[in-house]
Amino acid sequence: MFRPFTAQALVGMVAALAAMLLLPLVSTDPYLMHVMVLVMIFGIFASAWNLVTGFAGLKTFGHHAFFGLGAYGSALMAIHLGLSPWLTLWLGGLLAGAAGLLIGTPILRIRSMPHVAIVTLGFAEIVRICIANLSGLTRGEMGLWGIPQFQGFTLPVVGKVSFTPADKVSFYYLALALTVLTLFVIVRLMRSKTGLAILAMRDGEDAAESLGVNLTRLKLLVFGLSAFIVGIAGGFYAHYLSILTPHSVVGVDLMISIIAMVLVGGLGTFSGPLVGALVLTVLIEALRDLENYRLLGYGLLIVLIVMFLPRGIVTLRERLSFRQQEQANHGS
Amino acid sequence: MTNVASAPLLQVDAITMRFGGIVAIDNLSLDVKQGQILALMGPNGAGKTTTFHVIAGVHKPTLGRILFQGQDITGMRPDGRCRAGVARTFQITQPFEQLSVTENIMVGARPFYHSMAELRRASEAFADQVGLSDKLNVPAKGLSTGQRKRLELARAMATRPRLLLMDEVTGGVDMKSIPGLIDLVKSLRKDGLTIVLIEHNMKVINDLADEAIFMNRGARMVSGTPNQVATDPSVVELYLGEAKADVH
Repeated sequence: MFRPFTAQALVGMVAALAAMLLLPLVSTDPYLMHVMVLVMIFGIFASAWNLVTGFAGLKTFGHHAFFGLGAYGSALMAIHLGLSPWLTLWLGGLLAGAAGLLIGTPILRIRSMPHVAIVTLGFAEIVRICIANLSGLTRGEMGLWGIPQFQGFTLPVVGKVSFTPADKVSFYYLALALTVLTLFVIVRLMRSKTGLAILAMRDGEDAAESLGVNLTRLKLLVFGLSAFIVGIAGGFYAHYLSILTPHSVVGVDLMISIIAMVLVGGLGTFSGPLVGALVLTVLIEALRDLENYRLLGYGLLIVLIVMFLPRGIVTLRERLSFRQQEQANHGS
Repeated sequence: MTNVASAPLLQVDAITMRFGGIVAIDNLSLDVKQGQILALMGPNGAGKTTTFHVIAGVHKPTLGRILFQGQDITGMRPDGRCRAGVARTFQITQPFEQLSVTENIMVGARPFYHSMAELRRASEAFADQVGLSDKLNVPAKGLSTGQRKRLELARAMATRPRLLLMDEVTGGVDMKSIPGLIDLVKSLRKDGLTIVLIEHNMKVINDLADEAIFMNRGARMVSGTPNQVATDPSVVELYLGEAKADVH
């Protein structure tokens, strides 16, 4: 993880980025663009959750609280303070990040992971109930609508870029930029000396501490950063869909989907959460025709992956090469 | 006013450690001089590892103080003590299982190198010093007990300590590797390192330690040279008593 990227890995990254950049040139079908925007929003969310759970080993189940805080925070600031969504997106992220530090503080003292899971889940429930009941501000379960869109701008070669519900391609590229930025930040962090300390903390807190790793500082850093990123994903979601309900952004179903994406893609890997977000989001859309049976298919896929690829889809290649090697050894 | 230069490197000043109703350490004091190797001996449950935990900062003592280089570090967390110059190995090894041997050592050496390449090179040198140079890229979970012990030693050394606490570094290590470990510890001392070790192997203690403290029920029972301690009638009686109890 701490060595320079191999040529193969670099080619893979460039190819994936090129494919994403070129996709709208192949098709600008609004439904395809919509699904891909959702994939990227969930991909950012999943990557940030993976940072806390997969890399730092803190098993939290309440990250949807930060998604909701970012979404409602950004939307409400844009509506009531008249600020531009380009600004409130980041302010929503900061609000979520501050909440992350707040909830991170008691978590520092808890070493039992089931307790961390329950405390974070409980925190998210509190956030959801607050949003649902502060109906004067958030319109509660009726849903918050009329959320301002991002203002358009003009680019030298491309021309005018606008963000109305009809301009899915603009949202697509904005989501792609945020995804690349998120991945860049996470990869830079995890490949640094701080990343080394984060992995050490995951594998053994006492040993890490005995080697000079400041657990308090590191947990707060990871929690705050992760919550900030999730908050930005939430803010983007708010301005993209223009309507929010407490259930859609702070519901536990959302958190479960994100966890499934990370597990299916590969916990503790860089690309796993993004691959998982792509596979599960596309799959659930593809199975839409099956109506009620689609959840059955969805569940089946998760079971199969957990059975045959317990470390996620991104480990498929190393597993296949391991098999081949074994067969070769067996044959000789 | 204490003269820091002549003061002991580590002073354990009348510490008592209680866990609920259990007294794990009972008013223990000890001094460790610069460059000395001190061995803690005693039966299981005597409080040796708890003493290490208190020196390393895992537990804050119920009573008493810990002074390191004349500075009171009683309230300091383990990471702060590491930075102050106290390193340790664990009785039950705690390698970072998913990280490679080199990466495990890199965690300890982290503050001293700017670039990852330098950090990696320096860590590989530490691995080489403990005889793990053929395992550099092996994940730590694939190591034997003896290799894990050596990895912990390398990792602790990488923090550039002034005091090293070694908890049963020869425990679970095969007999033929022990002379190598003894030589390694001797070379560390030659470099000016001060060492406190917990050890059951009398040959290791005789070879290494300048002084030994025999602990029982959380307190110092006998102390002196390793030989004096090993031949002390009360120690002999305690061990023979234990031997008797072990024969069913």
